[in-house]
Amino acid sequence: MQSSPFNLRRATIWIGRLVLAGIFIYAGYAKLTMGMHPRPPLGVALSFFALQVDSYQILPSWGVKFVANTLPFAEIGLGLLLLIGWRFRIWATLVTLIMLGFFVAVVRSYALGMQINCGCFATPEPLTIKTVFRDGALVALALLMTIFAFIEARKPHPWSTPEKA
Amino acid sequence: MEVFSDFQCPACKTLFLTTNRRLMDDYVTNGKVYLIHRDFPLAMHAHSRVAARYARGAAQIGKVEPVEQALFQNQEKWEQTGDVDGTVAAVLSAAEMTKVRALVKGGTLDSMIDKDYNLGQTYRINQTPTTVFHCKGQTYPYSGAMTYDILKTFLEQLLSQK
Repeated sequence: MQSSPFNLRRATIWIGRLVLAGIFIYAGYAKLTMGMHPRPPLGVALSFFALQVDSYQILPSWGVKFVANTLPFAEIGLGLLLLIGWRFRIWATLVTLIMLGFFVAVVRSYALGMQINCGCFATPEPLTIKTVFRDGALVALALLMTIFAFIEARKPHPWSTPEKA
Repeated sequence: MEVFSDFQCPACKTLFLTTNRRLMDDYVTNGKVYLIHRDFPLAMHAHSRVAARYARGAAQIGKVEPVEQALFQNQEKWEQTGDVDGTVAAVLSAAEMTKVRALVKGGTLDSMIDKDYNLGQTYRINQTPTTVFHCKGQTYPYSGAMTYDILKTFLEQLLSQK
């Protein structure tokens, strides 16, 4: 069975790659710069982000510091890897797992009525039902992108030379 | 640091009792950090403005700390009964309480509370507690309670800026 070059699955994979890569790169950059001009020192930006991670009241202090110090760089790195497409299924799976983690944290905080900021883009943004739906839509997109990437990988590439019978 | 707080808000209680007390001991008393309490009584809380008036009155006679402590510590009690006066009276002497009551009835404290509230609105604050950090000309607004350990790391970073 051969896949056509432009089908719904391939379109979803491309949309997912572009949208999620853009969001991840922007989110990581925003956490490092805090949307400020001039940019605050890196230590200030990361420790401020730690306050936002801590507000979810899920992780112990060491976990909060670990996430705050690694997540912004991981977001930028994963965003670039999604765009480049190298070992795509591995990074797509990782992005999906991270998105699922964000979604669980956001739903939990919303359900508990915690009056906190999302911390998604390091700017003050109250966590509301809108945040829950937005994250849910992104998780769905990440899931579809990853599942379709695995399905498409089982088929010969549409632009490859057809095998002779 | 400006802390926009509502005496009837549970997260403000948590912030005051678990974090800000330690912050005062480690950073405020030695002058490393200036901590300013700002009243931001939310309309959804029936008694928070009354509590803010009593705290303001107590501040006028130099007794804000025990009153603030009493109001937060007994938050669940007075928010049920509305007995802010009794809560404050428990930690002040009769003479001090007379002065505070006079200030509260005087009606001059509301303008101070409104001034804080309006200032909060200029920062686009819509929830409490919100802490606005100021350092080297930069402003960092943060909403929600904070763990002392994580706050300390942030403050050390701010203070280490040259």
